[in-house]
Amino acid sequence: MARAITPVDVTIASDMERRRPSRYRIFVGILIVALVVAIAVSLGVGAVGVPARKLALTLLGRDSLSADQRIICISIRLPRILAAALVGSALSVSGLLFQGLFRNPLADPYVIGSSGGAVLGASVGVFLLPSVTISGFGATALLAFAGAVCSIMLVYALAHVNGRTPVVALLLAGFVVSTMLSYSSYFLEALDHDFGIGLRVLASWLHGTISQPTWGQLAIVSAMLVFGLAGSVPLARRLNTLSLGEEYATHLGINVQQTRVALIVIGSLLTAAAVALGGLISFVGLVVPHTMRMVLGPDHVRLLPVTALAGAVFLLLADTVARTIIAPAELSVGVLTAFIGGPFFLYLLRKTKRELLL
Amino acid sequence: MTPLLEFAQTSFSYEDRVVLRKINATISDGECIALLGPNGVGKTTLLRLAAGTLSPQAGEVRLQGQPLRRLKHGTIARSVALVPQDVDVPFAFTVEQFVEQGRTPYLRMFGGLQAADCTAIEDALDLTDTRSLRGRVFNQLSGGERQRVKIALGLAQQPELLLLDEPTQHQDIGRQFEMVDLIRSLKRKGIAILASMHDLTLIEGTFSSVWLLSPEEAMRKGTPEEILQPELLERAFNCPPRCRSALEDQLRGRRELVL
Repeated sequence: MARAITPVDVTIASDMERRRPSRYRIFVGILIVALVVAIAVSLGVGAVGVPARKLALTLLGRDSLSADQRIICISIRLPRILAAALVGSALSVSGLLFQGLFRNPLADPYVIGSSGGAVLGASVGVFLLPSVTISGFGATALLAFAGAVCSIMLVYALAHVNGRTPVVALLLAGFVVSTMLSYSSYFLEALDHDFGIGLRVLASWLHGTISQPTWGQLAIVSAMLVFGLAGSVPLARRLNTLSLGEEYATHLGINVQQTRVALIVIGSLLTAAAVALGGLISFVGLVVPHTMRMVLGPDHVRLLPVTALAGAVFLLLADTVARTIIAPAELSVGVLTAFIGGPFFLYLLRKTKRELLL
Repeated sequence: MTPLLEFAQTSFSYEDRVVLRKINATISDGECIALLGPNGVGKTTLLRLAAGTLSPQAGEVRLQGQPLRRLKHGTIARSVALVPQDVDVPFAFTVEQFVEQGRTPYLRMFGGLQAADCTAIEDALDLTDTRSLRGRVFNQLSGGERQRVKIALGLAQQPELLLLDEPTQHQDIGRQFEMVDLIRSLKRKGIAILASMHDLTLIEGTFSSVWLLSPEEAMRKGTPEEILQPELLERAFNCPPRCRSALEDQLRGRRELVL
């Protein structure tokens, strides 16, 4: 069916190439600026305010912070800010991957129990193998990953019927598995007799609190995020094809089984990265990809970078609000995302009812 | 000359239910074949075997002389495009994004669409007259539009053989004629077509041969005149005798349509 390429075709093709990315690039640019602004704002606000002018001067290389302010900004706030951005990014991208895997816009690491599995895995690490640590987590991060992989495979096996994942089956399977897993974590807690650090860690995980991470922990989670994002790039285009259904995707040359395994592994890696720093934070993996899809359409190739950035901005802002709104006390960011994300999600559910009824 | 596609003693069964028994048939370049048969006789199965998404338990399907089971799906999809009956898309993909998926067999793992891919997509939209739909959401299209867009995806694969599963099903009479016109124009482009059909009136004048699958007998092949005989159809479709005149009326109808 080869046909000579006429000048008209070339014009159309090049026109498409020229026109399509530009609006998209502006959107990516806006998100990058938003992330930088959010980091700057978040550095300045808190129980101790730091004037924006001083911060700006410091960033420009003319250090004008007092010693106290420097400790607050660089040693206390900055790690937490980076942690929030990493967690938001990881949760949003894993939400995007899981939604593609389940062919269902309701999938989210929290809803489908993958976060619960990661918490259980991490709890095993904290309560049963507390001595094995590298930079503060070690075994915990690895076990969180194992827990996430196992739980998602279980939910997938339960909810996947005839090549489809009906909303009801997905929600029920996810609810049952994640509840079981969360309470198993409580069971481990009850076994812990010396009421040590594990209790506090578990409590903060189950509430979804972003911890005060060490630089070593941040390095490990950043590496997991970078690896997860890099692994998602070749999967994004396949997710588009996979949306057409298993048989169609197979016909078009996609190795469906291999792609699914890769999605589960990478999605779980990202979930584990998020859980290691922030525990069970609900709805981020659902609201962020969904909003981006409403703005840019469902093309996963374009959604991937945008979702990663928007997730970072969203959770960073949410965590900033969480730690300042009732200062000097702090709210768990998980409480806040549930408050923002829940109603927002219900609104989306109503608005796009037709799309969601599968 | 090696045929484009060849079924050689091909048999297929789902678990213990035998569907297709020792099918022997060939499709030559540019041939346009209608696949007839009662519900559940294995028309869709035959199309899936031709596309390589199912593998026969016995015998072979060969694409230009090579057994399909030794070829990769992506390689097959550059020569054979399967247009399924139903597609269920969970997200709001536009027609253009949907048709783009037809280029999947040509893309490298990290590469995007090249100029040649865009040309193939534009050609597919032109041939199916769906250019004006490109920005619409696939899920919001009418049945007739959906059917044409699905065929556009198949054409974006630049196939030599297009497999259509019930292209006129659930279409109003105007859309059925549109579909027949589209099939004729694809035939003129030299694309071979194997289409499972239910409507007997649409076959003559469009399809050069007919394959008739029936539950009890071997598959019959012939020209439309040879196969579209009341006795043969009555037996294959297991029509009750009182329906004979209705069947004859339908066959007469298609002759008047052609003339």
